[in-house]
Amino acid sequence: MPDAVVSIQHLSIDYLVAAGRFRAVSDVSLDVPRGHVVGIVGETGCGKSTLGQAIPRLLPEPPAIIGGGKIMFQGVDLVKVPLWKMPLIRGTGINMIFQEPLNSLNPAFRVYDQVAEAVHIRRIRESGRPVASRAQPGPYNYGRRPEPTPSDVWSGKFTPGGAAASYAHRREVERRSRETGEELRREVLDYLRLVRINDPETILNLYPHELSGGMRQRIMIAMALSEKPSLLIADEPTSALDVTIQAQVLTLMKELIEEVNTSILFISHDLGVIAETADELGVMYAGRMVEFGPIAEVFESPRHPYTKFLLRAAPTRYKTDGPLLSIPGNVPNLSRPPPGCRFHPRCPIARPKCRVDPSPTLMPIAGAGPEHTSACHYAEEVPTLS
Amino acid sequence: MAGAPPSPTLPARPTGFRASSRRFGSGMLGFWRVLRANPLTLVGFLIVVVIGVVAVIVLVAPHLLTPYGSDQLTTDYNQGPSWAHPSGTDGVGIDIYSETLYALPLDLALAFAIAGAAMIAGGGLGLVAGYWDKPGTIGGGLSVFVMRVTDIFLAFPSLILALAIAVSLGRGVWQLIVAVLLTWWPYYVRLVRGETLAVKHLPYVMAAKAAGVTEGRIVLRHILRNVLEPVVVYFTLDVGTVLVTLSTIGFVGLGLPYPSQAEWGSMMSYYQNAGLITALPWTVLGPGLAIFVTVLAFSLLGDGLRDVLDPRSRRVLAGSSADSTSAATPPPTKEEEEAEKAEVQETDQPVDSRALGPVGG
Repeated sequence: MPDAVVSIQHLSIDYLVAAGRFRAVSDVSLDVPRGHVVGIVGETGCGKSTLGQAIPRLLPEPPAIIGGGKIMFQGVDLVKVPLWKMPLIRGTGINMIFQEPLNSLNPAFRVYDQVAEAVHIRRIRESGRPVASRAQPGPYNYGRRPEPTPSDVWSGKFTPGGAAASYAHRREVERRSRETGEELRREVLDYLRLVRINDPETILNLYPHELSGGMRQRIMIAMALSEKPSLLIADEPTSALDVTIQAQVLTLMKELIEEVNTSILFISHDLGVIAETADELGVMYAGRMVEFGPIAEVFESPRHPYTKFLLRAAPTRYKTDGPLLSIPGNVPNLSRPPPGCRFHPRCPIARPKCRVDPSPTLMPIAGAGPEHTSACHYAEEVPTLS
Repeated sequence: MAGAPPSPTLPARPTGFRASSRRFGSGMLGFWRVLRANPLTLVGFLIVVVIGVVAVIVLVAPHLLTPYGSDQLTTDYNQGPSWAHPSGTDGVGIDIYSETLYALPLDLALAFAIAGAAMIAGGGLGLVAGYWDKPGTIGGGLSVFVMRVTDIFLAFPSLILALAIAVSLGRGVWQLIVAVLLTWWPYYVRLVRGETLAVKHLPYVMAAKAAGVTEGRIVLRHILRNVLEPVVVYFTLDVGTVLVTLSTIGFVGLGLPYPSQAEWGSMMSYYQNAGLITALPWTVLGPGLAIFVTVLAFSLLGDGLRDVLDPRSRRVLAGSSADSTSAATPPPTKEEEEAEKAEVQETDQPVDSRALGPVGG
């Protein structure tokens, strides 16, 4: 996909554990289109957080190991980028909001210092090397640069996300930024207002422990946005918040997507939250992407049995008859995943073909939209599933 | 700057906020409030301040405080405490009070220098060993090496090791510093490494990484600042402990040679060896009392310093209402409880085992 911010191709991530390899993510492909919100749902332990942390290479490696695949970001495969180069890509290139808003701010620094640090990082990068070519590929576009290679990243010729050219340059920016401390402060205030914080001048001087959970998460969002990342990975950003705050934060994020041009990978186990925010939805089960498509299509006519059950297991206010459905069986142990489709032990429409290796990958579905894909051999039967 | 944030909806409200003095100003304010709330800390702090001022005066203008010069022999021999000689005189007519004061700057400087050098060297090693400890990397190898060397040093009782080194090096200021310093740094490695290991897995370090903060800055800013608090507390208590150890070395007779160089431990050793402890007890009492008061002051201050350095307890203790009008104070989070636990463990650490020396003779 040409305008994908990040394009994950056949990514596999294993954890080395005492029992062997725990296959947390297997053969996942995913594109996040520019300006879109892509939601990832799945139950606990399905690998969605691992996937999210693997993109900016924040997983502890080892025990985590990227077994194969590519993470293409601005023309560079992040899997091949050395880890010590990654701090230059994180932040302004790929940023992340975590699920613990209560502990994600450093307790020793005031709000101002933390937001200012983020703004400062962005300023250094902006004034350094130009951000990777955003030129659209086309027949007459002579301004397009050649695709950078991992060796360019090694040699420092190119940094996805853009970084300061040299340490001398960086020092210069830092000096200038000290001189314009007032300007920095104004920008910090702007971002706090952007995330709808009342009386930001007071909030600036407070320590994180003096703020409520919703406030802290909004400050985290302000920090992430102030770096203007190309991709923002939100890993259950609202799970730790209560429902009213959750709604506020979600509304805010939706508004901000339009104000700051960024793409979001939204990871959640909460279908309601995903329905509220996402444009596309990916469903993960046992380390695999089992269904992907525009959110309305996936919600209205799921084409994978797991998605169907998952949607049915979610409480809605219209469901008044009988107890909530639960999917029979258990999530497989990913140290020894079942052969074939990983859902087949629990699947009502499983046939002998489903038990055979290799397990299905996302395929277009007959009778569904062109962008709707499912990893089920019998996807067309799913709508008839009772 | 394309896509800059939208123009502010609220007009900027002028406040007394100044970016430069922001942290310091408020920090000092909190400091005073905490001191007011803890009388014992206040006492410790005041004594430390007085000791510091006295040390400076003795260095700059000794005649303001000491009636007799260093090594000045008076004609009063074997005098008990009186207005002329607050701590009496010895057999050759040396005024013990003056002599004790003359020893103060040297003793303080030695204690601070040794504890400070141990904190910087050991703390730096601990920080590096704690943060870059992934097995199989250069940092991991270095970490293992540092920790094993630390273990070897900690396997010896520190006082015995210091005495042994002092014996082999001979008497003198530098020899004394080296002897104590060599036994002192491993405690800081342990302390800082443990704290670093605890802090580096906290979510905010991960969040800082995600924000693109470089590794060096994470260590030197985000982790160091959170490790600093127990270390500074430990340092303050440690100044007293070092002083006791120095005095012990002096008392055993391995410290500075007393009549030519005044140091509290050596003074006590000298008079005790001369058999004056029963005949002229004030000769030992003067320097002994000085050690006692100084160590006590640093202990009291160190205990209270923890509250000053922790922004959470600072605000609570200080009862500050000016800054936190609109903010809700949440119940203690898991992290806070962990921090408290860590502190409890930290205070259980080696301070006691090392302070076994003959405090105050």
